[in-house]
Amino acid sequence: MSSIIFYIVSFITIFSCFLVVFSSNPVHSVLFLIFTFFNVAVVFLLSQAEFLAMTLIIVYVGAVAVLFLFVVMMLNINEVLVKEGFLKYFPFGLLLISIFFLELVFVFKDTQLQEQKITSMNISNLIKSGNQNTEAIGLFLYTDFFIVFQISGFLLLVAMIGAIVLAKNENPNIKSQKSQYQKSLDKRNVIKLK
Amino acid sequence: MEFFDYLILSSIIFSIGFLGIFINRKNIISILMSIELMLLAANINFVGFSNYLDDLYGQIFALFVLVVAAAEAAIGLAILIIFFNKSGTISVDFINKLKG
Repeated sequence: MSSIIFYIVSFITIFSCFLVVFSSNPVHSVLFLIFTFFNVAVVFLLSQAEFLAMTLIIVYVGAVAVLFLFVVMMLNINEVLVKEGFLKYFPFGLLLISIFFLELVFVFKDTQLQEQKITSMNISNLIKSGNQNTEAIGLFLYTDFFIVFQISGFLLLVAMIGAIVLAKNENPNIKSQKSQYQKSLDKRNVIKLK
Repeated sequence: MEFFDYLILSSIIFSIGFLGIFINRKNIISILMSIELMLLAANINFVGFSNYLDDLYGQIFALFVLVVAAAEAAIGLAILIIFFNKSGTISVDFINKLKG
């Protein structure tokens, strides 16, 4: 049963991926991107990654796709101009990705994976000892991967500050208080007695 | 729902993202969306391996890929907005200030 759902959801995912790339209206592209993320979340649920599925919906649909949607709506893009040069690049791109995809399939087809030895992060053992998926991820994320976790948090901080600094524009028409300039003034030069 | 199906699904999505970078030469927003698709394909691969090998490592790594994707989208879109305000276009063909 879950296998049938997997194939149906995969088919819908691939279809909506095509629509993301090929639709001429960027707003439709973003909406199909959201649809793709939902379908991939279902695939994650089927592969017993419940925490990751919910995080995918929160992070991608709640933050990234909405960010894309805001940017698409703020920029005034000419829709006719957007698809210009499509026919020029499409045949070459199709040839290239066909070769790439066929190479991948040839590599995967003969791949034999060795039986993995049981590690401490074995999912069945974790579930057997009473940890659910989210609990198990937290168990390792805050202990073994603590440094990596902190670095990824710092990366998000850097991205946030970078985006604010980039998007902030100084408008000379807005009147604002410049405290550094005020402190640097000397009162003997400003106030005069006559 | 075998292991091979995850690999095929992720490579199809990766290829579509690759194609999207090629054909959307007039629109950087589409290119950024294609990059998101490619990162998503990487995530599917990680989760598929995690499910097959019965190991939690793949899911934790996919979480870090998610962090990088979010940071990349925020920075990319901020650069895109200031570029559009300065030059009035988002076409790749006109972004050649560095003469690279």
